[in-house]
Amino acid sequence: MMRRLFPILILAALALPAQDDERFFSTTLYPIFQQKNCRACHNDDGVAAPTRVHFPPDTATTAQIENFGRGLALLGKLLLEKPTLRTPHTGGRLIVPGSPEDALLTRWVDYLKEHPYIAEAHPNRPDASAAPAPAGRLRRLTHSQYNNTVRDLLGDQTQPANLFPQEDFVHGFKNQAEAQSVAPLLAEAYSAAAERLARSAFRGGDTNRLIPCQPAGPADAACRDQFIRRFGLRAFRRPLTAGELRRYTTLFDREARAPGAGFLPAAQIVVEAMLQAPGFLYLTGSGSYAAAARLSYFLWDTMPDEELFRAAAAGELATPAQLERQARRLLRDPKARQFLDEFASQWLRFDRVTNTVRDRRAYSQYTPELGVAMTEETRRLIHHLAWNNLDFTTLFNADYAFLNTELASLYDVPKPVEEFGLVKFPPESDRAGLLGQATFLTLTSKPEETAPTARGLFIREQFLCQQVPNPPPGVNAVLPPFDEKRPLTNRDRLLEHVVNPTCATCHNLIDPIGYGLEKFDGIGRRRDKQGIIFSPTRADRNRSTNTVELDINNTGRVAGLPNSDFSSPKQLGQILAASPACQQCVVKQLFRYAFGRRETPDDRALLDQAFAAFRDSGFRLQELVVSLSRAAVPKEPRPQGSGL
Amino acid sequence: MTHDLTRRAFLRAASASIALPPLAWAAEKSPVESRFVFWFNGNGIPERYWIPAATGPEFQLTPCLAPLGPFRRDIHVLTGLDNPAARLPGPGNDHHRTMSALVSGTGYTSRGCGGPSIDQAIAARIGSESRFRSLQIGVCQESHGESIQRNLSWAGYERSLPPEVVPHNLFDRLFGARDLSWVDRKKSILDAVRESTSDLQGSLGAHDRQRLDEHLTSIREMERAIASLPPDYGRNVKEPEDVSDLTDYPRIAKIQTDLLVHALASRQTRVASYMLTKCQSLVRLPWLGYSARRHHDYTHERADGPDGQRILRDICRWHVEEFAYLLGRLQSVPEAGGTLLDHTCLLYIHEHAEANAHKNNGLSMILAGHAGGLKGGLHSEMTGSVADLYLTLADEVFQARLGSFPTADRKLTGIV
Repeated sequence: MMRRLFPILILAALALPAQDDERFFSTTLYPIFQQKNCRACHNDDGVAAPTRVHFPPDTATTAQIENFGRGLALLGKLLLEKPTLRTPHTGGRLIVPGSPEDALLTRWVDYLKEHPYIAEAHPNRPDASAAPAPAGRLRRLTHSQYNNTVRDLLGDQTQPANLFPQEDFVHGFKNQAEAQSVAPLLAEAYSAAAERLARSAFRGGDTNRLIPCQPAGPADAACRDQFIRRFGLRAFRRPLTAGELRRYTTLFDREARAPGAGFLPAAQIVVEAMLQAPGFLYLTGSGSYAAAARLSYFLWDTMPDEELFRAAAAGELATPAQLERQARRLLRDPKARQFLDEFASQWLRFDRVTNTVRDRRAYSQYTPELGVAMTEETRRLIHHLAWNNLDFTTLFNADYAFLNTELASLYDVPKPVEEFGLVKFPPESDRAGLLGQATFLTLTSKPEETAPTARGLFIREQFLCQQVPNPPPGVNAVLPPFDEKRPLTNRDRLLEHVVNPTCATCHNLIDPIGYGLEKFDGIGRRRDKQGIIFSPTRADRNRSTNTVELDINNTGRVAGLPNSDFSSPKQLGQILAASPACQQCVVKQLFRYAFGRRETPDDRALLDQAFAAFRDSGFRLQELVVSLSRAAVPKEPRPQGSGL
Repeated sequence: MTHDLTRRAFLRAASASIALPPLAWAAEKSPVESRFVFWFNGNGIPERYWIPAATGPEFQLTPCLAPLGPFRRDIHVLTGLDNPAARLPGPGNDHHRTMSALVSGTGYTSRGCGGPSIDQAIAARIGSESRFRSLQIGVCQESHGESIQRNLSWAGYERSLPPEVVPHNLFDRLFGARDLSWVDRKKSILDAVRESTSDLQGSLGAHDRQRLDEHLTSIREMERAIASLPPDYGRNVKEPEDVSDLTDYPRIAKIQTDLLVHALASRQTRVASYMLTKCQSLVRLPWLGYSARRHHDYTHERADGPDGQRILRDICRWHVEEFAYLLGRLQSVPEAGGTLLDHTCLLYIHEHAEANAHKNNGLSMILAGHAGGLKGGLHSEMTGSVADLYLTLADEVFQARLGSFPTADRKLTGIV
């Protein structure tokens, strides 16, 4: 087997420190770290929790310590600068610059620079030598944007993109530039859709008034040019270049000359060609028109309107203040609801709720319609907070909800006056905010039971923006089996994770969050006991189904967040709403959605500014959106990174 | 009840397909060409109901393999093949890592495969003369995860080739009615599209250029498919009936299989991949009576008890039934004094062996057909990796002369 792995291992080996250097870390440098007691603060609960470092336990093997040493590569130059107080460090100067200790630390930092952490490198990555580039400037229309755009451009309501190949969720969203490739199947789908769209656009004449003039005949060159310029501007969201104008004129003329053809069939072929051109499919370029397009795809999920085109033509999208003025106008338009729906449905993974499968024996109440109602409840709360300019952190601790009759019965609260009307929870209720909503509680559950790990992971990733590593290869992920004689609660089964040290490090961060929500079942009902259903086996089929009820220990905590013991969605919601980590995470998530990429260290200033705007406004979502919109200032092309 | 349902679905689909037409167009090509079908379903197997006890020619078909009874001499059951790259450290869960390693011999990148999958490596060598260099066909769509779970074919690093899952679209690509004026029109449109894509490429940074290059490749593949319409064959293939229930997978599977066989018979492609279900599949199986949970749930919740094993056995047997249906269709097409099955090499794989344990060493798979003189009627316990097998098939069945494939270091004996 070793022989077979050779081509891969040799590349991996280049990235690994040689034996001597590993030894150097464990024998020389690690004892210094121990002596300085870095771990006292940089741990999950310490004062430096946000910059925590996962130190190996006292019982760690040499290999574990060396692995830890390699992992410090992720800290970059901070590893040297912080403890030596070359940059501000709350813990003060622990190592004096110029001292022998400083030299040893410098040696390791330099070593790591040349030997990047193995997790970063994939041997086949194209251009692996270059710094990992933030996705380039090129963003493709998402399927949702495609549907909205052909609606606004052509009046077509058929949503053709619903049958395009599925989009990937990357960094939590479906609009991330790095995942937007055009595989052959998608290119064909674009082509087939363009053919259909162009045909129906002119079925029965120019019913959508795409031709801005009355052609005197198929060869009316003035009207042709007017049409190509006008439609081209709207399709490409910028004026056509001279070359493009020539290209589409040629195409038009060839078709117009064909026997039996006329002006409209020639216009149709131009529309069909433009709808699969990169000018239509991608958001590119710089300048006012590019800024207009970015703004409108961010805030409307569709193409610019006449006013944005006018502003772009007039050069009125050149300063942050001008962008802000337009952004506020766009937010007042009902189309802004499309943005919020897209953002919320991806961030909160509505798709998982609407595709939910539930074991009918455990959840007879569950229907697909109930699933849709769940996401509607969440939508209503988000729209309520955003458009009424309320504190958006209320998302996590609202003591009210927008319910229909079925949800009210699921939650065991009085029926709303009207469907999806506001219902206030009684003060003693454990339920509040998003974490008490059936949407969250359902999407993080399995068909027959809750999944505390999934709940903890979702909260870490979506609401705290913390990445928890995947399980290492080869670990046995099978939890202890249980039977009727020895039934186990979810918590007791998952304790296996903590018994196994390989699993414990990460699962200690994840599972206890889920434990605190265990009194809410897999479709969001409050429960006091965990019921486990044992159906008769084939061998014993005359017996009836037996449900065993177990007590629930619902004490939970969020390791790393101060004072985070909790035992209900309401308590956790209050912790999250007040937590800067969670508030900043909302900013990051919206950034990723708006910019179509993950943030980089270069974005720090922008993120800080956006967070300040958000916080200073009392956490109004619209102010955060406006702050990010101001960053759509058109820039000259840079080789890497991009605005909105 | 269960069987009735399946049979009814089978008959409905069978009636939609038709007797194969004379191979007028295909006959213009060389008398025989070998085809490769890379066939997949997700989530692994219950080994005790799948792996035959005996090796060699005397093996007994197990409950899972029973549907292959009529094709006993056309299959070679392979067990014990390793998938070493699945155990390299890296991002992702076991399904991610195993899938990437299984199809490409490379580690998962955090977004996809680290290199081309074997069908694409072979297609690059033998696909250039066909209307489609390769085809990707899919059936069930539900799964955990993203690209790595949803795609079997990869053109290269993080370049997935999504399968066509809509029967009508697949029919349209292969046999949609076209006339010359349509072809001319489409060609001039694609000219314009290609030119404007090239124009844009000039103005981009390296990273975006790479992405646009992929788009350009896709446009060229489309141009090539349009440039060579199959002149006669298509007229005899009826458009599939509307499938009103988009999760009637046994029916969709048969329509997709019929279209695949037509595509191979009409020589529109030599290489195809077929994903019956996705990796880490979440398909529900109401036609088997199992709809409370999804396939992946069944592989892990109470999976080792007798009832759990029985459910996995039934699900697995359905997968094998669909594979057997394909073999039957291939065998029904006469070609060059034999049948299409004689000129096809099929490899049927899953990302794991025992499903609950996520076992990735000692994989079980089925090699079928007789292209290149493949041996049949055997169960062999192998020593070697799945990549060794790929290298063997590529070189000895298709003369593709890959030279190497990640994690392969030798060819296997006993295959041809």
